[in-house]
Formats: sequence, structure tokens, C-alpha cells
Amino acid sequence: MILSELKLHNFRNYEDLSVDFSPGVNVLIGENAQGKTNLLEAVYVLALTRSHRTANDRELIKWQAHEAALTGRVEKQGGSVPLELIFSSKGKKAKVNHLEQARLSQYVGQLNVILFAPEDLYLVKGAPALRRHFMDQEFGQMSNKYLYNSGQFRTILKQRNQYLKQLQFKQQHDRVLLQVLSDQLAAYGAEIIVARAAFLKKLEKWAQTIHETVAQHKEELTFHYVTQVKLDEPSSVEAVYQQLLDLYLNNETKEIEQGSTQYGPQRDDLRFLINQKNVQTYGSQGQQRTTALSVKLAEIDLMREQTGEYPILLLDDVLSELDDARQTHLLTAIQNKVQTFLTTTSLSGIAQQLIQTPTIFNISHGTLTKEEPQ
Amino acid sequence: MQYPEPIAQLIESYMKLPGIGSKTATRLAFYTISMENDDVTNFAKALIAAKRDLHFCSICGNITEEDPCIICKDQSRDQSTILVVEESKDIMSMEKMKEYHGLYHVLHGVLSPIEGTGPEDINIAALLTRLQQHDNVKEVIVATNASSEGEATAMYLSRLIKPAGIKVTRLAHGLSVGADIDYADEMTLFKAVEGRTEI
Repeated sequence: MILSELKLHNFRNYEDLSVDFSPGVNVLIGENAQGKTNLLEAVYVLALTRSHRTANDRELIKWQAHEAALTGRVEKQGGSVPLELIFSSKGKKAKVNHLEQARLSQYVGQLNVILFAPEDLYLVKGAPALRRHFMDQEFGQMSNKYLYNSGQFRTILKQRNQYLKQLQFKQQHDRVLLQVLSDQLAAYGAEIIVARAAFLKKLEKWAQTIHETVAQHKEELTFHYVTQVKLDEPSSVEAVYQQLLDLYLNNETKEIEQGSTQYGPQRDDLRFLINQKNVQTYGSQGQQRTTALSVKLAEIDLMREQTGEYPILLLDDVLSELDDARQTHLLTAIQNKVQTFLTTTSLSGIAQQLIQTPTIFNISHGTLTKEEPQ
Repeated sequence: MQYPEPIAQLIESYMKLPGIGSKTATRLAFYTISMENDDVTNFAKALIAAKRDLHFCSICGNITEEDPCIICKDQSRDQSTILVVEESKDIMSMEKMKEYHGLYHVLHGVLSPIEGTGPEDINIAALLTRLQQHDNVKEVIVATNASSEGEATAMYLSRLIKPAGIKVTRLAHGLSVGADIDYADEMTLFKAVEGRTEI
């Protein structure tokens, strides 16, 4: 999958921009605060209809403008698809092949991206919420059903937590409605847990192969999905649903006292093990970074396995965070395989030697100039 | 400069309607001033009459001029089925179909703790009393919307009613009639496959 052209209108600091990208490595060079990350963000937004930097779409529209528009052309196996996304005070409109889509979920998935930002290096040692977000984000891109289930789950979780609080403060008294909400939550929760476990098995397989080469066959990387229910092999949605339902039923009084839902996938975590030891607690700083890198690179392969095409890779200031050995590994893994956009303040050292025929764009005050190859 | 008080009040009144903000309200208010006297009087009368003459039916909760409503009074209708809807306007949609001849019950909302609507806040108690008083009801069809709140309300009703030995059914999900499979989104298709029927 390749993003061949991108047009921006009133997006962040770009008033009007039209640019053609190369199918290989696109390097965006510029000083700080010139719009490098904004451009990367534009590609991310075009793919997922929302930003990784803000939850408020209003911020995406250029200061004092009313409407922002992003258009792009994606080259896929099936041909070339024009995408268009318009943000205004009324909300957002998404068009595929010039046809407006009634639901954003019909639009997401047309363009697949994987973003690798410095924060992702904390995937291993950061809070569990980071790893749950990672799973929801990536698996949602690969499966519409996952996206739908996690959306429904979030809505019902909010309803249930609210109702538990109302029961706690005796504003409501009816336990039957709580059981109905538990039933709904367990049904969607079970779908999520089983899907996560299945996706993780596949991701683990890819990550293992990658990690073996990075760590020169001295380390074996394994994943462990931490959940409150017992997962059989193969795990069935029905069995997990029943377990969750029992947990809710047996802990009704406790949950009402706490005023919030204590069981379900919103409490789960993902653990990474190297030679059977938890990387988060026993791993060195270097091992934690290598693991995060392996997982991110594995996503590229998993996405291809699931969708039949390589996604687009966005590297936001990551090179400066990696040492030479890891940079080498990252760059050799992606070259001639994945269309890549990377931002940096200067292209030097190992990266300059390794990237074959990069297309370089200089960014200054929201304008882009393509550097002609010498 | 401020608007003269009568028009300011009119603007404020229009703004109380759903989907109308200050701009539209101002436009409507100025248009009202330019309307014929008779039209304005009729409009005002219609507003007052709608509020004064319409009540909720004491049996089913539908809006009606007379209590009980025409549908509840109509003995020729099938007294053994009750179709439960969220809003009075849903009854109009069902009646247009001309194929359902049973009775109705309007909930005036769905269960949604976030919105602060619990079982006591919607018209559920009246439905239960109705079922207790008329033991000839054999089936309750729940026709709430296919949202997660509509679904929760349907499940809630079924838990209360089923133990009394009354059949509780739910509207089918899936493809709309005459629609191309091409145009259906994945989740609709998924529901349609899940709820497939044998032929």
C-alpha cells in the first residue's frame, strides 16, 4: 500500500499543500516547530480519521479557518483509491472514491498506517493502559468486528459504571438492570478478550522471528496476555462470556460498593517475557527498547497477513532515540518493503549510509521543498 | 444594541426547540413578524391546542385527544399482542405498515444510566400493571431501536416479563428490504448472517 499524493488545506500550519511521495523512504527534514510532525499527523489522520496527538478535532483546523480538508491517493493491489476527509465545526465527512461514507467505520481500513513515536519505546515499561490502547488501536485497524465490539464495549462500560454509582448512592435500586448491563458487557468483553488472545498469538509469532535476529539468537521473546478469566486453547467466546458473567454476578455487592466495574478486558494487560523472565521488571533498558522495536516491526508483518498489503510506516523522531545497532536493524527491516515517512532534524550517521535513495523534503514554515538527488 | 423585548422573547422560545440554535431562531422570529396576522394567530392557537388537548393515553402512553386512545378502545384489534416502542412517533411508522393489528405500549425513552434514565423513569410500571390486569396477553414484541440502549431495554423487559409465562420477542436485525448486499456495512451483514433463517 502506497500513499502517492497528499493535499492539505487549512490543516494545522499548512494552508495549501500538494505533494507527491515516493514509494520508498520519504525523509522530512526541518528545524523544530516547522511542521514535520504535523505532516506525519496528516497521514495518520487520513488513515484513521482522528489524531494521535489530540482528541479535539477542532485543533486540526488551521487557526481562524473554518474547514480543513485532507485528500490523498492510495495505490493498492486493487488499483488506486482517492480518499478525502473534511473537518468543520459540524463534524467530519469521509469520502472513498469521491463517495461519502455514512459511517466512519466504513472509511477506516482503506489506508493502513503504523506509527512509531518515541513514546512507543515505553510500550514495555509504561502503564498497562498504554498496552491496552496499543492492542485496541492495532487490532481495530485489522478487523472491523474488533472495532465495532470495542466501541460497543466502551459505551456499555460507561453505562454500567454510571449505574453502579447510582446504586452506590441509592439513586437507583433495581438490580435487574445491572444484570442486563452485565450481560451485555460480558458478551462484548468476551469477544474482545478472545480476539486479543488470537491476534496476540499471531503477533507473537512474527515478533519472535524479528527478535531472534536483533538479539542474535540469544533471546526468546514470548507474550503473555494477562486476564482475569481462564483462556482455554482454543478459547471460545461462549466460555469466556460465562466466566465474565459469573464474575459480575458473584461480585455484585463489591462492585456497587466500589461504584465501578472491576472485571473485564478494560483491566487486562500484556506481558513480554524474554527467556521466560518479565522484561518489564527484569529486563535492561536496552532489552525493553529492543522488545518494543520487535513488537512494532512485527505489526507490519501481521498487518500484511491480515489485510494482504503492507501498511505505511510513520516514524516520528524515532531514529534519534535509537542506538546505531537498533537503527540498522529498523532500517534494514523496512527498506524495499514498506513505504516509510520519517521526520528528523538532520539525516546523518548510520541512517544516511543505510537508506538507499531516500526522497528528501525540507520543511520550513509550513512549506515543502523536494531536494533533487545529486 | 439589543433586540426589542417581544422579539428577544420569541427568539428565546424558538431556541427551546430541538435542533434550533440562535441563528435559526433569529431567522424564524423575524419571519414570524412578517407573516399574515391570521397565520400567526392560527400558529399560536395550534401550539396551545396541542398542549391543551393532547394527553398521554392512560393505558398505552400514546399521545391522544381522548383517553383511552383509539387503538386501546378498538376491540377489533388483537388483544393478545402488545408491541413496545420507544416513542409515540414509532406507532405511526408501525401503523403505516398496516400489517400489525395488535396493541401498543410507549415507553417514552430507553434505559440509559448516563442520561439518568432508570427503570422508574420510563413507562415500564404501566406495562407491567397492564400485563397483570389482562391475562389474555400472550406475546410482547419489543421494538426498541437497535442501539445498545435499545438492546438493554429489550433485555430488561424480557427478564421481567418472561417469568410470567408471556412470550417476549425482538425485531429482527439485518438487511433492509430491496437493498444491495454491496451497500450494507460489515456489522449489518454480520448481524444478518447471524440471524439467518431456514428456507
